[in-house]
Amino acid sequence: MTERYMVEPDVGFINEVIGLGGQDLKKCYQCATCAVACPISPDNKPFPRKEMIAASWGLKDKLVGNADIWLCHNCGDCSTLCPRGAKPGDVLAAVRSYAIQEYARPKKLADMINNPKKLPVLMAIPVVLFLVIGLMAKLFGLHWLDITPNGDSIVHAKFIHSTLVDVVMIPTFFFSIGVFALGLRRFMADIHKDALICGKTDKEKIDPKGFVEALVKVIPTVLQHKKFTECGENAERATSHMMVFFGFLGLFIVTNIFFVVMYGFGIHGPYSQLNPVKWLGNIAGVSLIIGAALMIKDRITKDDQVSAYKDWFIVVLALALGLTGMLTQMTRIGGAACMSYSIYLLHLICIWTFFISLPFSKFAHIIYRTVAMAYMEYSGRK
Amino acid sequence: MDKKYGVYICTGCGIGEALDVKALCDVPEEEGLPVKTHSCYCGKEGLEEIKKDVADGANTLVIAACSRRVNFDIFKFEGCAVDRVNIREGVVWSHPRSEFPALTEEEKEDEDNFDRVQMMAEDYIRMGMARVEKIKLPEAYKLDNFSNRILVIGGGVTGLSAAIDAAKVGYDVTIVEKESYLGGYAAKVRKQTPVGMPYDSLIPSVVQSKIDEMEKYPGITVKTNTVVARIAGQPGDFTVTLKKPGDKIEFDVPYPLPPEMKVDEKGNELDAEKQHELYLEYNKGRVDILKTDPAGEKFGAVILAAGWRPYKPAAGEFAHLGFGESPDVITNHQFEEMAAKGPVLCPSDGRPAKSVVFIQSPGGDAGDSDFSYAGAVTSMVALKQAKYVREDYEDGKSYVFYQHMRTPGLNENFYKSVQQDPGIFLTKGEVTAVSKNGSGLIIEADNTLLGEKIQVKADMVVLGTGMVPATADDPVVNLAYRQGPAFRDIGLFEGYCDSNFICFPYETQRTGIYAAGAVRRSMTIEESMEDAAGAALKAIQCVECSNRGVAVHPRSGDMTFPDFFFQRCTQCKRCTDECPFGALDDDEKGTPKPNPTRCRRCGTCMGACPERIIGFADYNIDSIGSMVKSVKVPSEDDYSEPPFRILGLVCENDAFPALDIAALKGLSYSADVRLIPVRCLGSVNVIWIKDALSQGMDGVFLLGCKHGDDYQCHFVKGSELAEIRMKKIGDALASLALEEERVAQFEIAIDEYDKVPQIINEFVESVEALGPNPFKGF
Repeated sequence: MTERYMVEPDVGFINEVIGLGGQDLKKCYQCATCAVACPISPDNKPFPRKEMIAASWGLKDKLVGNADIWLCHNCGDCSTLCPRGAKPGDVLAAVRSYAIQEYARPKKLADMINNPKKLPVLMAIPVVLFLVIGLMAKLFGLHWLDITPNGDSIVHAKFIHSTLVDVVMIPTFFFSIGVFALGLRRFMADIHKDALICGKTDKEKIDPKGFVEALVKVIPTVLQHKKFTECGENAERATSHMMVFFGFLGLFIVTNIFFVVMYGFGIHGPYSQLNPVKWLGNIAGVSLIIGAALMIKDRITKDDQVSAYKDWFIVVLALALGLTGMLTQMTRIGGAACMSYSIYLLHLICIWTFFISLPFSKFAHIIYRTVAMAYMEYSGRK
Repeated sequence: MDKKYGVYICTGCGIGEALDVKALCDVPEEEGLPVKTHSCYCGKEGLEEIKKDVADGANTLVIAACSRRVNFDIFKFEGCAVDRVNIREGVVWSHPRSEFPALTEEEKEDEDNFDRVQMMAEDYIRMGMARVEKIKLPEAYKLDNFSNRILVIGGGVTGLSAAIDAAKVGYDVTIVEKESYLGGYAAKVRKQTPVGMPYDSLIPSVVQSKIDEMEKYPGITVKTNTVVARIAGQPGDFTVTLKKPGDKIEFDVPYPLPPEMKVDEKGNELDAEKQHELYLEYNKGRVDILKTDPAGEKFGAVILAAGWRPYKPAAGEFAHLGFGESPDVITNHQFEEMAAKGPVLCPSDGRPAKSVVFIQSPGGDAGDSDFSYAGAVTSMVALKQAKYVREDYEDGKSYVFYQHMRTPGLNENFYKSVQQDPGIFLTKGEVTAVSKNGSGLIIEADNTLLGEKIQVKADMVVLGTGMVPATADDPVVNLAYRQGPAFRDIGLFEGYCDSNFICFPYETQRTGIYAAGAVRRSMTIEESMEDAAGAALKAIQCVECSNRGVAVHPRSGDMTFPDFFFQRCTQCKRCTDECPFGALDDDEKGTPKPNPTRCRRCGTCMGACPERIIGFADYNIDSIGSMVKSVKVPSEDDYSEPPFRILGLVCENDAFPALDIAALKGLSYSADVRLIPVRCLGSVNVIWIKDALSQGMDGVFLLGCKHGDDYQCHFVKGSELAEIRMKKIGDALASLALEEERVAQFEIAIDEYDKVPQIINEFVESVEALGPNPFKGF
């Protein structure tokens, strides 16, 4: 016999989801139009109908550890067709945002990243880090920081030495990876437990080998944005998302190549504009800027979709990353030294903010959604 | 009245093309009646032709053209008896020449050939002529005494609203209320559901504003601490005796003998004399219904707004929901009483009830039905009371488990606003158990929107029990009618008084008594106020029609009423018993006493009377019987293979319109049937069937409304009575060596026009299979 589920509504949770952009969740009257309309929902226990009532009853445990909220790509078909204007797409987005904060530790940092008032403090952290570490390094005779760089050509490393940059950035990056790893462990356990309770899978345990195979299987789907293109309402969003996605991917590859070139071969930048890696960097940068700009435009013009701080945070940060990077390069070539160094500092702030916010902000979807898709593939749900 | 006839045959709308009009004209001419034709009698020129004849003295007209259901306002001539012979829908359109070809010139030469459609049209004209010969112009029935005052029983929101509505248009109204205060249940609630835009939040009870408004009308008299002892007489002339609740007076209405007193110890029914003796003993101290109270007040019509009482679960009922087991499981009425006094508290220990579960369906054997006597109002009340918990406690939680959530009309806004409350949780589901859990309760539910099996902890459980109409416990109206003091219980409405729920909501089965509010069905205050307006309008219609001597409903404006030839009455009481509306009383001998303004003119009495002494001026045994007899029944003397003749007696309310629609849609049926519209199948007297069969017709069918649980009869039980009578006629047929299958009854709804041809054709085929009537040609 199935055990009875004890329903214990958490009104605080309801209010938080409402605050995260799910303000219409209580309008749902369970007609299930959403679950029928959703082009990517599975046939077995489809979403988001059941997620909507769980949300309006404040059943946190039914949502946070539920892989289905991640299978949703926020196409918006459900929200468009919802006869009550309950916007299931936005509710799920808000629940995802809540889940990210739930799995990311430490909580304090999660709160800071998701609170617009604390954004200046957050952005001041890398500046402080550069100053403190740079000044401390001076004590050891290392000139990593020169706040009045000069010379014939603009070399950003003269201002903040590449090593200083890496000393700050690399630990931040790996800190984020660590946060992800810890969050994912709990996440995997939770979604498996939920799938067993709800009858979404018949697999008792997660077998690591099978799971990795499933993960490999979904990678092409992710890269090609296959799920995205199944969407009706927001199908055009696939383009901008792809541009941003591949922009980041390209820049990540370029950064890694130059890292190896610099530390492995001792060749310091700036590198020639004719270098093919540089081409890749520029193309990726342009893709990121255009993609992010399109996303912002999309959010501004779409007034039937809820845009909360969590949404603006990542699209604006993505655009800022691209713009500051590109402008740094352009002002360097153009010889506007003062401007170039200033923008470079901004660029570094953006990068650090990006790294630190990865597991705490909406950026985390890259990991959770991929894992959830792999889990669905693994669990054999149709 | 000297009858001066005129027969008019219209040749428009395809009639002239399909029929041999000259031969049609021969029919009245052979009888010596003047006949005219025109291509468009409903047009100006055609109409002038008839009007000119009327001006010249014609007063008995047969207009063979379209169905009487169309152009009824055109073919209306003051002081004339008119029969509309339906040769358009009934003959030409329903028997197109493409399917029923006319005879060719060659075929006409052989006298053994016949044209079925032409025969049909000629028969119908003959039938029309026979009818107008037998009917009289009706004269309105005038009451000797007439009152247009309106009595409202019940001083709740419904009664107050009805009184205000009637007083607004100038009628004198008396409200009687059995309690010492006005307002009814609405005076006792904490808040009520919305009655106006934007319909999104609870409001204070409207009852005080209703009382204030009522007091502005000098025409309204209020009598509290008063009940109705008896209502005697008839609409327009009711004599009402009022009394204090609990008083025993001689004008308390006598009650019929309860069934257990009608039998002896062995269970055999007592004879009539013995029963009457017991009846008199049973009602000792109460005067007979026919004795009028000289001190009684006069009223023209009654609005019954007696309201409801909360459902009281029996001992052990809802034990699976913890009712009776835990003091913290209560009904919505008990919850309302508590909420009206202050914050909601657990009855067990007085702690705040911060978590309350509202259950809308008892589950178990009841399936997914709501509690009995529930309705949309109980959904609304659950939402309202869920709000109380939230008003009382900031951290309060309300759960509503429902099988049906009904918030009709703009109350959808109220549902939406309740839904928006973060502390209110709604789900469909079946509550299977409520059990104690320490000082609290655990509620288990299956098949919810949240999953298969869930449970919730709560401080209190509220059952959404229903509103029992006052008429379920007590007749309230205490009618001094021979059929009894209450509305006839037809076993369909659980004590709610109603005659036809959908079509005629305010009509009870007693003309002149109009039900409104929760006595009619469970409803909200908003619905009750609207209902009150409807009933007030009906009451006004009733007094005005009674004053003019015409029927109120459903044959509004009908001037005829049943006329009795008492010399031949055998006091069999069938008419008194069978009248669906209790229109007839009888004296101690059993002679019926008609009350024409109670009558709805269905003719059920006429159908019931074995002596055939009841009839209407324009609708009687002779008029229909003559129509039947005027049908030409060809025999082997006429043709080597004579066509069959089958009579159809068709209810004019549903079946006849369905036939018209079928014709309009181009559906055809056998041309061997002859149809006669009747007021109700209840008015069909078996003599017509005997007449038909004895003159050689091969079969007779009755086409009328559905009966049973979803009855559609305008007169409640006409089609049901007809079926009982048809079963009895079977024996009579057998004694004549005629097959029972020659007589049949079929049910049809007005929208089932597509089935009509099939029903008719199948019956014709079944009669053809039996062979011709052996009496043919005698």
